[in-house]
Amino acid sequence: MISPQQRLPVTIAVLGFAFLGLFLLWPLFNVFGASLLDSEGTRFTLANYGKMLGRPFYRTAIANTLEIGAWATLITTLLAVPFAFAMARLPVPGKAAILAMASLPLVLPSFVSAYAIVLMLGRSGIVTHWLQGWGLGFGSVYGKGGIVTVYVLTLYPYVLLPTIAAFKAVDVSMEEAAQNLGSSPARTVRTVILPIVLPAILAGALLVFIETLENFGVPFVLAEDQPIFAVEAFKLFIGETAPNPASAGVLATLLILTTALVLVIQRRFLASRRFATNARQVPPLLKVGRAARALSTVYCWLVVLVALLPFFAIVVLSFLEFRGPVLHGNFSTDNFAHLFGREMRALGNTLLLASGAALGTTLVGVPVGYVVTRWRNGAATLLDVVAMLPFAVAGTVLAIGFVISFNSGWLVLTGGPLILILAYTVRKVPFAVRSASAIVHQIDLSLEEASVSLGRSPAETFLRIVVPLMLGGITSGIVLTWVTVASELSSTVVLYSGQWRTMTVVMFQALEGGSAGVATAAASLLIVVTLIPIALLYRLVKRYELGS
Amino acid sequence: MSVQDARGPQDDEGQMTSIVIKGARRAFGTVRAVDGVDLAVAEGEFFTLLGPSGCGKTTLLRMIAGFTELDAGEIRFGERRIDKLSAHRRDIGMVFQNYAVFPNLTVAGNVAYGLKARRVSAVEIGERVEQALALVQLKGYGERQPHQLSGGQLQRVAIARALVIRPQVLLFDEPLSNLDARLRVSMRGEIRELQKSLGITSIYVTHDQEEAMSVSDRIALMNAGKLEQVGVPADIYRKPATRFAAEFMGTTNLVEATRLGLAAPVWVSLRPEALRFGEDAPAGWRRLPATATHVEMLGPLTRLEAKLANGTVLRMAMLDAPQRQLSAGQAVTLAFDANQLTIVP
Repeated sequence: MISPQQRLPVTIAVLGFAFLGLFLLWPLFNVFGASLLDSEGTRFTLANYGKMLGRPFYRTAIANTLEIGAWATLITTLLAVPFAFAMARLPVPGKAAILAMASLPLVLPSFVSAYAIVLMLGRSGIVTHWLQGWGLGFGSVYGKGGIVTVYVLTLYPYVLLPTIAAFKAVDVSMEEAAQNLGSSPARTVRTVILPIVLPAILAGALLVFIETLENFGVPFVLAEDQPIFAVEAFKLFIGETAPNPASAGVLATLLILTTALVLVIQRRFLASRRFATNARQVPPLLKVGRAARALSTVYCWLVVLVALLPFFAIVVLSFLEFRGPVLHGNFSTDNFAHLFGREMRALGNTLLLASGAALGTTLVGVPVGYVVTRWRNGAATLLDVVAMLPFAVAGTVLAIGFVISFNSGWLVLTGGPLILILAYTVRKVPFAVRSASAIVHQIDLSLEEASVSLGRSPAETFLRIVVPLMLGGITSGIVLTWVTVASELSSTVVLYSGQWRTMTVVMFQALEGGSAGVATAAASLLIVVTLIPIALLYRLVKRYELGS
Repeated sequence: MSVQDARGPQDDEGQMTSIVIKGARRAFGTVRAVDGVDLAVAEGEFFTLLGPSGCGKTTLLRMIAGFTELDAGEIRFGERRIDKLSAHRRDIGMVFQNYAVFPNLTVAGNVAYGLKARRVSAVEIGERVEQALALVQLKGYGERQPHQLSGGQLQRVAIARALVIRPQVLLFDEPLSNLDARLRVSMRGEIRELQKSLGITSIYVTHDQEEAMSVSDRIALMNAGKLEQVGVPADIYRKPATRFAAEFMGTTNLVEATRLGLAAPVWVSLRPEALRFGEDAPAGWRRLPATATHVEMLGPLTRLEAKLANGTVLRMAMLDAPQRQLSAGQAVTLAFDANQLTIVP
């Protein structure tokens, strides 16, 4: 029998399992199933795996993807760790501005950055033409090098932000103890501080690696003839020739297994290396010479600005005149005129779908995050693991599962807006659960017990005490979900249908050979749509912090 | 069942409820946190659960509050069995160790919280909140935010919030342990007075034996999930039923009686303050020659360790006596009243 105190968590857990079971596990099961069935779809076989892995093309795709991921992760880490150290411990002017700008690549669509680079430095890019006019040439931006560059520029905040926090959390007495024992400052950094922040760096690096495995837009723009995992899975499934769910399923399954493997390795490694040092205060800035100060300032500002340059460029380009894919240097608002003339519907779709997904993610993520934190037992742990699973599933893969699962049968969702909202919700649930869980950790359990002992039921207590206390975090979560969903491409491109095209689909189709002008206008608009809520949130958070 | 009829009449002031616990058990994994506890708390009594950390006192309190389930046994308030009732229907006021004042509500909002849950009218809520704040000496603090208050004030808010609902039972979970020493002493006096004036049956959990002795009508000393001894504070101190009770309640000398020159082959407890110097003791007391090994001057008290000829070390405590010079190595005569020794099993 379920005891009275357990009714609320049991209800939430059951609903959470039902939702994730239907919209996460069932589609993944079907992807897995498709990869294990023969061409008639009736008999179990491993032949699909043999066939795919036997083809050099797909073996190259796997190698390319891992190689790009490894390089991007390595370079990002090497770039971000000194940056983080400078932000945490050196006197760099304008830290607040740097920090605000450094967070932007996390919410801006990375394929827009890739597209901007193509427009500027690609075969018919403006910078390329300009340099050719001077008789200068440079290597190709297409292929692995270009993809790695875009990943580094758009994913470095994943390492930077946690590492800054980690550097700031090192108790200054650790350093003082090391120096007191005769260690030089440089040796102290190497032997004491870096080992303490290493878990944070690795956790960030892991996020970068997983993002590179899943990313669809960037390689789609830049890969050209280089096969890449997520793109090939998409091509196999949507297929200009015959759609091939079995082969797409094989690639999708391999992609999930790779990500899962990386996660397991990370858990193993980090489990034995968790250092908690409770800094009572933020460690003081180091006293450095003028040269070091100038160098660190230039370095931080340079990284932040270069990373944002492509986004800035695309906004400028969107006000120039295009004829087909060819750019002319005149100022023009034609791109926006075309966009608003033909694609208003797409803008409306983006706003609507993003709002739906933000709502869905909050409704699922907050209660689940609460239960996995408060209710410590096997079921809660399992729910936590399942809720984290979408993190390891590429958008393309989940979308393929959705199409296989909800194209026929008792629940048909393909062709409507709901399938997009549900796919977005599932994809963003891990972030919502993690952030909700982090907030619940901060809320003392005795507050809830006090409320219950004063006569409020657990459900009322959740709504009257827990939710108000979580409100700041929930608001940030809603905004972040909203903006990242607005620029989601990888599952959208599989799941959209006719009238439910989004802004990202407009851009995607323009890239495939439509008009580049409309694509730049759409990209600009997407940037604006992203930045406005972020700016509002930033102000809100600031006011909140000042107010309390 | 609605909230109303679970709780009974609203304005049943000064209601007195006894608490009866029978065979309460709870295990966490292999650890028996509460291992068969039988207890009866009288109406209006101030009852304390005392014991070291991990003895099960908090688990037992949380069973009464409804936050921890019983594996076996039952709990009654008066005639009514409450252990299967949801925590929010038990009509209990609880004061937490870390105050648990809702940070998103004002002081008045906190105090009104339980009244709103009981659908009390707005006018009455206003009056009762004022009264409750006055009772804990926080008159005029209603509109303050919790982060503007000190620890002691927060705990007063928590107490007002628990009292204002006129609960059948008040539970205190180490309410003073986050306060500094001076404030602890004054607050425990206030809690005791409030409880006596309101007459609400109360259970108080603490690990501090001095605090327990100062506030309680009766104390239950707990150890390893079981009740070690239940009684009025003076009895628990003077007549410990077990070796654990003797050692937990303050300092004592636990020695074999033969070591003190007595014939009986038993262990006895001899409190440091029951020892005197031979020259000050009445004629009938037993005297033992000894050597002072360690002298500790603590201000009002002086502590002394002295070694008997047979090697046994006894601890002794006396009020400060300026005329007496004591130093380690000095020969002394210790005296005690053999009739006042407590035999411990």
